[in-house]
Amino acid sequence: MGLRWYHFAAWAAFVGFMFLLPEMVSKGTLRIIIFANFLAVFAISWDVLSGRTGYVSFGHPFLIGIGAYTTAILTKRFDVPVEISIPIAVFVTMIGGLIVVLPALRIKGSYFALITLAYMELIYQLVQVVRPDLTGGTRGMSGLPTLTRGAVNGYYMSLTLMVIVAFGVWLVMRTRIGTALSAIGMNEEAVKGSGLSVTRLKLFAFLLSAMIAGLGGAFYVHYLGSIAPRALFDINFVFTIIVAALIGGASTTIGPIIGAFFLTFLLEYLRPYLPGAERYFIYGGVALLLYMYQPKGIYEIIQQGWARVRART
Amino acid sequence: MTQILIQGLLLSGLYALIAMGFTLIFSIGRILNLAYGAYLLIGGYTYFYVAQTLGMPKIAGVLLAAILGCVMGLLKYRLLVKPLKGDHVAVEISSLILAVVLQAGVVLLFGDSSKILLPIIPGVERIGGAAIPYSNLFAAVASWVILISLYLFVRKTHTGRAMQAVSMDPKGAAISGIDADRINMITWGISGTLGAVAGVFFASYTQLYPGMWVAPLIIAVAVVIVGGIGSIIGTLIVAHIIGFMEVMTSAFIAPELRGVMTMVLIIAVLILRPKGLFGREEL
Repeated sequence: MGLRWYHFAAWAAFVGFMFLLPEMVSKGTLRIIIFANFLAVFAISWDVLSGRTGYVSFGHPFLIGIGAYTTAILTKRFDVPVEISIPIAVFVTMIGGLIVVLPALRIKGSYFALITLAYMELIYQLVQVVRPDLTGGTRGMSGLPTLTRGAVNGYYMSLTLMVIVAFGVWLVMRTRIGTALSAIGMNEEAVKGSGLSVTRLKLFAFLLSAMIAGLGGAFYVHYLGSIAPRALFDINFVFTIIVAALIGGASTTIGPIIGAFFLTFLLEYLRPYLPGAERYFIYGGVALLLYMYQPKGIYEIIQQGWARVRART
Repeated sequence: MTQILIQGLLLSGLYALIAMGFTLIFSIGRILNLAYGAYLLIGGYTYFYVAQTLGMPKIAGVLLAAILGCVMGLLKYRLLVKPLKGDHVAVEISSLILAVVLQAGVVLLFGDSSKILLPIIPGVERIGGAAIPYSNLFAAVASWVILISLYLFVRKTHTGRAMQAVSMDPKGAAISGIDADRINMITWGISGTLGAVAGVFFASYTQLYPGMWVAPLIIAVAVVIVGGIGSIIGTLIVAHIIGFMEVMTSAFIAPELRGVMTMVLIIAVLILRPKGLFGREEL
């Protein structure tokens, strides 16, 4: 895997800094960072599947939604404790996702993107009409058990989740499987030609992605304490996840985290000037310009800048 | 029964118009223009602003919507599609971002609440117990007129044949002296115009709100997937399948499920027949 001491030093410095952050910033900022942490988890989940293998998913909220709804229904309607319902939710996300997306894995390119978009719209419409007594219909559910109280605790929970997910994905992606996944994104035929089972690799990427999405969705629901279909299966939500991963730097682990923080803070700093959905105008504009300028994202821009600085000295 | 037949025909005509602009782009560059729904949004709002806020004649509203849609299509090709040089994933993602930006722009200008478009032609006709607003009838007739003229344009004119050639084999077309860039410009312009005009009709059919672009985009996608890309006739047939399926679902099963059936159809066709019901024909 080629692990070096400085990798761990960098991770330790990052985690240490993040854990000390509540001492330095206000509660309001902390709440923003909580959202950034969750967005980072979703963006990493998207990146594992789409950023690396090039199979773009436009329906990631579909997976997040399965996890979120499973745990919400279990805790609210069947009084299952949260400690049991979250693992079940993750499992259900993986299984449910597997059943519906397994056939979709043989579909290539643009069609894969479309079918995932179709799945998201499908579940959005189904959730509202099928068994509204369970799902809460159009209005969703509120008053779900929350895991933490207060901004600081919520921050630690979201941070722990994000760090575990990021570190886990980082480790997996350093193995040969990770290399093979990135290779699929570059040239699927070549990977097939090297005697690797592309289907199995894609399946693995999908399961890992679904697991993270389910985990993130379940924790997110128990942080918010409520769930609403319109906010979850929203094209703006897809957009935020994808853009976070791309703006930060797809196919890297640190990239989606950078992107998530960048976007969340951009959105928050626009709030005083543009309170409503108009924010997405500037937000999307910035994202579009950045993406057109450097499709590989902020991480690549930083690296290039760093290389230039080093070349000069 | 008559009601279902008439409603189905009217809705299908509209769907065919919506899907056509999307199909054109897909067949010529294999590009999924996810910003296509935004043309409908812009068309609808332009019409609303010109005809209802400014109180100008309705035909001016439709014309201005068409012109703006055409400009949007051309701009998108120039500024987005061409610089990205056929990187499909990049084009799709930047299209999605563009659609969200345009939606937010509409919110910025017109606000978040939904608007009701006054019917293009007021009045209702009763046929066999079914109430048919003249507006919907007009939209369907206009859709058919536009579709037939588009078909004649693609089949009979020189430019139309060049479009067919580019969609079949870009290299071969280039060797025969066709300027693919010009053809692409024309196609994007036509697509934008069709989208904006379809938007006016679609908005008068349902209502005008900033998120209205997703549903027609899904319909366009469904038509392309189910029908197989490119063919104008295939698009027409599938638009009717989907239109009638929706009308029948809301009449016999439940109105809330009409969208669900479309999704199920898309997914089923993609899984069972990835090449579409009518194969992958060209234009």
